[in-house]
Amino acid sequence: MTFRRLVLSVAAAAVVGVIAIATLVAINLWRGTTGGPVQAVRAPADVVARGKYLAEAADCAACHSAPGGAPFAGGLPMQSGFGTIYATNITPDPDNGIGRWSADDFWRALHNGVRRDGQQLYPAMPYTSYRGMTRADADAIYAYVMQLRPMNVPNRETELNFPFNIRLGMLGWNLLFLRDSLPAVSAGSSPPWQRGRYLVNVLGHCGECHTPRGILGQMELSRPFAGFALGRLAAPDITPAGLVSRGWTAAGLRTFLGRGLARQGSAFGDMHPVIMLSTRNLTDDDLNAMATYLLGDNPPAPTPLPPIDPAAAGPMANAAGRSSYMALCAGCHGLDGNGVPNTVVAMRDNSTLRLADPRNLIVAILDGIGSENFPHHDSMQRMPGFSDKLGDGEAAALANYLRVTWGGQKGDVTPAAMHALR
Amino acid sequence: MSLPTRPLTLTINGKTHGPMDVPEGMMMIDVLHEMLDLTGSRLGCGQGICHACVVIWDRDDQTSEEVPTCITGAGFFDGKRIRTIEGIAQTNDRGEIVALSPVQQAFTDRFSFQCGYCTPAFVNAATVLIERLKRAPVPRAQVEATVAAALESQICRCTGYVRYYEAVRDVILAAPDLTRDDA
Repeated sequence: MTFRRLVLSVAAAAVVGVIAIATLVAINLWRGTTGGPVQAVRAPADVVARGKYLAEAADCAACHSAPGGAPFAGGLPMQSGFGTIYATNITPDPDNGIGRWSADDFWRALHNGVRRDGQQLYPAMPYTSYRGMTRADADAIYAYVMQLRPMNVPNRETELNFPFNIRLGMLGWNLLFLRDSLPAVSAGSSPPWQRGRYLVNVLGHCGECHTPRGILGQMELSRPFAGFALGRLAAPDITPAGLVSRGWTAAGLRTFLGRGLARQGSAFGDMHPVIMLSTRNLTDDDLNAMATYLLGDNPPAPTPLPPIDPAAAGPMANAAGRSSYMALCAGCHGLDGNGVPNTVVAMRDNSTLRLADPRNLIVAILDGIGSENFPHHDSMQRMPGFSDKLGDGEAAALANYLRVTWGGQKGDVTPAAMHALR
Repeated sequence: MSLPTRPLTLTINGKTHGPMDVPEGMMMIDVLHEMLDLTGSRLGCGQGICHACVVIWDRDDQTSEEVPTCITGAGFFDGKRIRTIEGIAQTNDRGEIVALSPVQQAFTDRFSFQCGYCTPAFVNAATVLIERLKRAPVPRAQVEATVAAALESQICRCTGYVRYYEAVRDVILAAPDLTRDDA
């Protein structure tokens, strides 16, 4: 191929690409409308009920409600490295909500990431996961949200930095990163596994937090569910290998998703609203399906907590850490780390202590964890933060004492690591 | 069988105690009650929530803060200085009380408490607040909100909040150096 032909080919490819994108833009914008009639949706009660269940499984409320705001009326700020995106009002208010949206408009938003007015959505709205949703399920969710009480709550403009504030850029992003289906995290084929894959990958959009993200904010699908810190707390590794290494079993996962509390610990941070708004509402069959998918049809055996290396955990090996535990932690978590039933989580068998990445343990020590209510009238009391009572060296020694004694991990947390998270 | 012990030395109400052997893992409230006969700090929930057991920790940087003694091990206080309710009022050379602190006096004048179980901790929390305002006065208009925020952790099961809060508010407003006039 001569140089001239190469240049011509590249130019031709570029022209075709530009035309393709321009066509897509034109189609979206031509389809897009802002006015139009207010939709009157009359769906049978069973469809609405199914839509409610699916909306809970898809956890729409977690983002589309502001703290203290009306459900589904939008407003939750979502921070990203590119700026802040505010979840929108998805009640059927004609002007501020989606009252003029048809079922087709709704489907295009979930499936293609395109708003009714033809503008691109940002993937803070997880159409990247919802793309796998069936049309029937999307229509049922539409039927449900369209009979919610319309809330006259204006949307807030996104606050993104240039060039990410150009919504058209998402067309290129979608070409690169939008996939029809997301990779399976485990091996399986049984009906519960299939159902679990749909619940976890599509509706639950678990990968949006638990899958690592690349520099353009895309999910790195070569490492699904390997864990990622989108905010201050990390969403832990929930691959089968990661889960069993921390002692999780299918029964433990079912209990955790249904109640927010299991022997392996309690839901905190962003996982707490997931339990409260979404997974607690799922049927036993669906919880079982999620657990089956997360661990696979042939789940690996949970790793028992290894016996403590006496050299690493003798009374004098980390005297400073042990002394801080006795001074500040043992009053609630117990001298033996067993916690207080229904009040304080145990340290023994605690999933956060067993994580190789100490980040969440460090954040819990520094910030504490607010009091939390759980389904079935369970609750956990507030844990104070200790950032003002422990220096970096003391806090690191404490983290190491916990990791070695009850986490089966190395005592390798440095004062610098502690300092970095202050 | 004997419990492993740790040596403890600390200063309480200006007086040094120890070194004494304290069982490892013993909470500070038990040391106060059982070993030092300082029984004014109250054990309530035992979980660090009701704050009936708080003492004042005088930090080396001249600030003071509340610490719940029911969930804080004695070892935490080794080498530290604390005040308990027994050390708040003014005493003479013979250790006799000659004057209540302004907070104590205000609680008494206003009948702020009924059963009195939470009162020692309310005194300590209000004392910490007043010491904080000495370092950083607040605008007069914000005094009520400041009192409410500072005492929010203290739980009273009889009635007390309003009269407690009003008493602390009035102590603050009557003092010359705890508030500012600006907005």
